[in-house]
Amino acid sequence: MEHTLPNNDKLDAVSFRTPEVVMHSERLGAMHQTRISFVRTLLRKIDKEHWTLSKHLWDLDNDGYGQVIYRLQTPEHVYHLVVFCNQIADEERNDRVIAQKWDVTFALVYGEIGDELLANLKANVPLQEAGRNSNMVMVLARANKSVRVFDHIVSSLAEGQQPDLDVLAQVGYILRTTAVYGNGKFGIYDFKPLDHSEDFNQSFRAQMCAVYLIREFSLDWVDYLAQKKGGAKAVSLHPEIKQYLGIGNATGLGMAPYLINHPCVVDQWLSAREGALQAVLVCDIEDDRNNTKIQHLSNLMKRAIQHFSEVVTINEPQILLNNTVVDELNKLQNNFMSQIEGCVTWADFLQRQAHLSFESQEVITSCLMELYPELVDAFAGQANADETMSLPGGKVVQDLIDVLEARYQWAISIDFEAEDNVYWFWYRSEDKEEPRMGVRGQERGDDKEFLLDIGRQANTLYLALQQADPQQLLSEFILKQPKYRSIARRVWTMGHKKMGDIQINVLQKTALPMHLLRCKLSMFGATKFDPRSDRWVRVTLFQGAPLFAEVHSNEWLFPLLPNLSVPKRGLTHDCIA
Amino acid sequence: MIVSHNEIVTMVNKAFLGMQREVGEADLIAAMVAELQMAGLDGILHFNNASPYILSERDAPIDIIYQSENEVRLDLHGSSLVCHLPAVMDYVVEKMGSRNHFKVYLQNCHNRWLAYSELAKLAAKGIACLAKWDNGRAPKHTIFTLDKRFVYPDLYFFDEAQANYNTNDMIIELSTDNFDIEQDIQYFDHKVSTDELYATHQRAWKEGIYVDDGQWATLKKSAAAILVENSEASSKGAGGI
Repeated sequence: MEHTLPNNDKLDAVSFRTPEVVMHSERLGAMHQTRISFVRTLLRKIDKEHWTLSKHLWDLDNDGYGQVIYRLQTPEHVYHLVVFCNQIADEERNDRVIAQKWDVTFALVYGEIGDELLANLKANVPLQEAGRNSNMVMVLARANKSVRVFDHIVSSLAEGQQPDLDVLAQVGYILRTTAVYGNGKFGIYDFKPLDHSEDFNQSFRAQMCAVYLIREFSLDWVDYLAQKKGGAKAVSLHPEIKQYLGIGNATGLGMAPYLINHPCVVDQWLSAREGALQAVLVCDIEDDRNNTKIQHLSNLMKRAIQHFSEVVTINEPQILLNNTVVDELNKLQNNFMSQIEGCVTWADFLQRQAHLSFESQEVITSCLMELYPELVDAFAGQANADETMSLPGGKVVQDLIDVLEARYQWAISIDFEAEDNVYWFWYRSEDKEEPRMGVRGQERGDDKEFLLDIGRQANTLYLALQQADPQQLLSEFILKQPKYRSIARRVWTMGHKKMGDIQINVLQKTALPMHLLRCKLSMFGATKFDPRSDRWVRVTLFQGAPLFAEVHSNEWLFPLLPNLSVPKRGLTHDCIA
Repeated sequence: MIVSHNEIVTMVNKAFLGMQREVGEADLIAAMVAELQMAGLDGILHFNNASPYILSERDAPIDIIYQSENEVRLDLHGSSLVCHLPAVMDYVVEKMGSRNHFKVYLQNCHNRWLAYSELAKLAAKGIACLAKWDNGRAPKHTIFTLDKRFVYPDLYFFDEAQANYNTNDMIIELSTDNFDIEQDIQYFDHKVSTDELYATHQRAWKEGIYVDDGQWATLKKSAAAILVENSEASSKGAGGI
């Protein structure tokens, strides 16, 4: 496996790493949270703008069922998180989109909540996809309990005890979201008119905010229930444990089509990330006269080592990957100053680590980006993209061939006649339109194949262009062969972007959709990747993040189990600014 | 009922993909329909009306019947405009080049209302547009005129058939100067102005987009054509839990 970091002389100076390196599916599948991940950006915004959160309504019975409303005040506007807690049977608890009942359903709502709106929310939010919601709803979502963690925390607190950290470490959350809908889904507010919102004009910010607020609820909820159950004997959850617990998220194949169908957005995210990384990589290490940055990097890597030692997953490949990270980073840590020695810039240092696994390399890039917040944070505002894909005038067939040969080698070099290269087909099931994969020729549905085969389409276009007059105007070629227009404008547009298309043939027998899921989840800022198969994964969001009342702009990369016996240790977040 | 822009785009996208056409771009067609619906001009109704044509069409390219320096005549062989218009517009804008006027005759085509958003995009290129077409039912003649400084057109409707009445063609004129339409519009019966379209559009973003329940149900039914029947084997295709 090639892990080199070639100089990027074909593009402008966005990155040391070429699209072939960055957009390689395996590397995308090794990404981690960075300080421009959406959860991190959101919390800095909340801190800097002094957003406030208060309980507007707490109407739960002794068993914790009922409704709760939180009021969120920003400098610009007021929003409410409306939460409905329902009793469901264990057998009804299902993370897949085909589920019909959930422990908790919730909505982030724009503006005030009147009686009529609340009645409408109560009638529709618990139904999720089956409901019709007001367009005052910006985010519609649901979550299930980790029953084991929930019961353990409530019963422990009710008994006046803090929960067993080993139990918490297995999971890392109390509630696990199974879908967080925004952008007009099921009648809610579109993203486009949020262009003018200072609060939620960035991709997925409203969704991340709703998740952050439901985390607050999950922590308030267990305290409330413990108090109801234990009375005077009950204690509150320790603040450091609260900080350790995030919100779980179960993500399946549905996320993969998003990445294929929104290539401009993905390019924008990855270009911003690489731009931020490049801003760090060009910095001279020698300028760090007091070794502050070097020490900070070393501390962050120590924390990464501890984090990956603590992460619990049932997935054997992920266990091996995590162990490799721990081994590789331990070796690097033991040899740290000699690895730094002789490096002029951080690019030299990163280049020196090119032999490490993708996972370790990406841990290092995440750590490096923490060293220069003043350079990196400016890239956080670049999450939105113009999704227009078009063909320019004045171009001939050869111009498009040139783009394909320069930027789509990964696609035009594939033999799509080979069965293994078209092994899978993707489709949507009648069952709540759940995206699924089937084996071509063995399972039904390939006549309704979901067109995610960008590699195959680019390959077919390349073959067709080679049959045409190279000097024919592209507009003439397309007028005569209109079936190629869609892929032609994608290839042209993405071929001129900094990072371009994700380089994956999703039809290929060994293609792992998990890589696509991981890419998007890490852009969100997920941690604790726990694949449950090659097609769905559990992660945590906001694990290790400060609580709303203590929100700050400092970093909280790689959550660690708290050590309640020691007040503060060298590796805790508070000690590394 | 009220729906969101994204719901329309998603639903039309699925409905078009379900028709399994080689020609035609689902994302662009979805945008055409959504823009028309947001303008209060029944985009979904027009798409639903177009669906039988789109389903029964051959996936064949259109023919250039005639072309000169300043005009081109294209035969769409009875096809719906939605599948071909983006390629036609690329072609004619390129043919127009630095000329200040260019005329396009589209023969034998359907669903001309759905050209609305593709034509409105011309303003961003500094091109003014005048488009005309006839209908079998009132309004029997429609004029679309786009000032190159504006994002939204003016629309003029005529209850009676005008000269050269032909319900299968469309004429599109492009110009680097705004059109003088005094003569063309002197007998119009009804007008929707650029200001009205702007206001309708803004209201749609803010309050959601009104869609006739029956038309939405028809669209949803079309969109369901992409779905594959559930089965035990299929259920494992999502990775299982």
